[in-house]
Amino acid sequence: MHIDLKKEIKQSNFARTGIIILVSMIAVAILAPVLSRYDPTQQTAASLLAPSLSHWLGTNHVGQDIWSQLLYGARISLLVGFSVGILSLILSIFFGLSAAIIGGLYGRIVMRIVDALIIIPMVIAVILVAAYVRPNVLVLILLLSLLSWQGGARVIRAQALALKEEGHVKASATFGAGRFYIARKHILPELTPILLVEFIYGVRRAVFVEAGLAFLGICDPMLISWGTMMHDAMRFTYLNVWQWWLVPAGVALSLTIIGLTFISHAAESVLDPRLRGEAVA
Amino acid sequence: MIKRQNLVTYVIALIFILALSFFLPRMMPGDPLMAIYGDEALIAMTPELKAQLVERFALEQPLWDQFGAYFLALFQGDLGYSYYYNAPVLKVILGSLPWTLLIVGTSLIISTFLGIILGIESGWRRGSKTDRTMLTGLMSLNGFPDFFLGMVLLIIFGVILGICPLAGALTPYSGLSGLPLVLDVLKHMALPVAALTLAHLAGSYLLTRNTMISVLKAPFMLTARAKGLSQNVLKYRHAGRNSMLPVVTMTGIWMGRVVIGALFVELVFAYPGVGQLTYQALLCRDYPIIQGVFLIVTISVLLANFAVDLLYPQLDPRVIHAY
Repeated sequence: MHIDLKKEIKQSNFARTGIIILVSMIAVAILAPVLSRYDPTQQTAASLLAPSLSHWLGTNHVGQDIWSQLLYGARISLLVGFSVGILSLILSIFFGLSAAIIGGLYGRIVMRIVDALIIIPMVIAVILVAAYVRPNVLVLILLLSLLSWQGGARVIRAQALALKEEGHVKASATFGAGRFYIARKHILPELTPILLVEFIYGVRRAVFVEAGLAFLGICDPMLISWGTMMHDAMRFTYLNVWQWWLVPAGVALSLTIIGLTFISHAAESVLDPRLRGEAVA
Repeated sequence: MIKRQNLVTYVIALIFILALSFFLPRMMPGDPLMAIYGDEALIAMTPELKAQLVERFALEQPLWDQFGAYFLALFQGDLGYSYYYNAPVLKVILGSLPWTLLIVGTSLIISTFLGIILGIESGWRRGSKTDRTMLTGLMSLNGFPDFFLGMVLLIIFGVILGICPLAGALTPYSGLSGLPLVLDVLKHMALPVAALTLAHLAGSYLLTRNTMISVLKAPFMLTARAKGLSQNVLKYRHAGRNSMLPVVTMTGIWMGRVVIGALFVELVFAYPGVGQLTYQALLCRDYPIIQGVFLIVTISVLLANFAVDLLYPQLDPRVIHAY
């Protein structure tokens, strides 16, 4: 598959909007210390203050600055999202590719396990494990990665199997190329667009699940994340603090997920040109 | 018609889940009884009760025998005992299950139906302004987590406008019966159902729209058009019906998750279902309940997948010949 990424991005409104949203979120995460005046973990003023010039979004129930928390929250979301995205993609590639090129009994066993893992609802499994281990960021990343590679592995295996039968791959085998050489030099490079889509899916899922777990209050409570902010703010919905506490955290989280959704939608329609919008004949 | 391959998959999934819920508490450092029941329950236990439990779980025997004892209890329908509620786990869960089934079931029906209709209309007009607006709108909606949607609805309709009640499934101590009771239940479920419906709508819409677009290019659509069929017959009977298949699968799989599908939304509205129960159990570390919910969810997910496998050839006879 040969795809001109630049051209595709230029043509698709979804891709452009998504990338703009995502890049601004990344910028916010990196520049958090520059854009905020307070340490998000320190009590800096009285609790539950309304927005003012010194605290743009007021303070929360323990007197921490909400604006700083909002900015630093982007770090956790994106850190968990991208790490899980990369780790689970590596697992997907490893199991998907090896099942396709080795095949036989090994391939069948791997695929049975993949099918079984796909059935299990991931969020519930994570909650069960998290209930016991109360994960910190690192454990959470590992946990989510271990439980979310299966879908990608299935897709990668199917594509790799199809590629294996193509003429140029067969030709390379007749010149004496080994299985792993073929996997590395011929199959993997052609899978790049699919890997990209799977990666974005993984990031999106992880951002979602991290926020959900934090919202349930079963992650490290010292961690500043949008989910934790919403968890805390939920107890004060009867006051008007939701306007500058709950809503900004929720909107930031939703915007990040929307950005990722737009990118994956655009990437999907590049992979499957039938989905491209066109007028009715 | 069920393939042997699929059965193997279900067995592996079941073993994985059982192993996870068996080994997890036993691998935690410290007293295994504490990990199984949570530390609060342990303080309340008498030494005799502890001895009895150690024997029941075969905690002093090798791991293999413990697994046997655990398995045997499960097959007898014994999910354990919650010391927090002082009742068997199964009974506690069954007590809150109807509320969850009520709101998740209702929202699943509404969102699937609405999603299919919108998907068909949008796919039919693909590339037009209506299609693009719907696509952008619903895809953005898809980005909002259900708990955030729930909280926004709660604040708008509950706090600001005061139309809907803020929490619970019934007005406490109202002693209502008959029609007023039904109205009370409906009033309480309106917001949770709305939040869940909005959260699921995009999924069935996007799937229907995508399938619709590929179905519209199929040769049989040209034939149907050439026969001079009306627009609506073409749209719904020919293209629509064929675009529903993936959505049916998705809804079937969602059915299995009904038990836990409203976890976050129930928490927001303090709705007394399984989600709320799970959240309370997480707060007070009532591990038997968490384990019980987890096992029931897994079993219903497996059953739902099994049902979809059975039903699918009826809906789409092509799959019988696909293998």
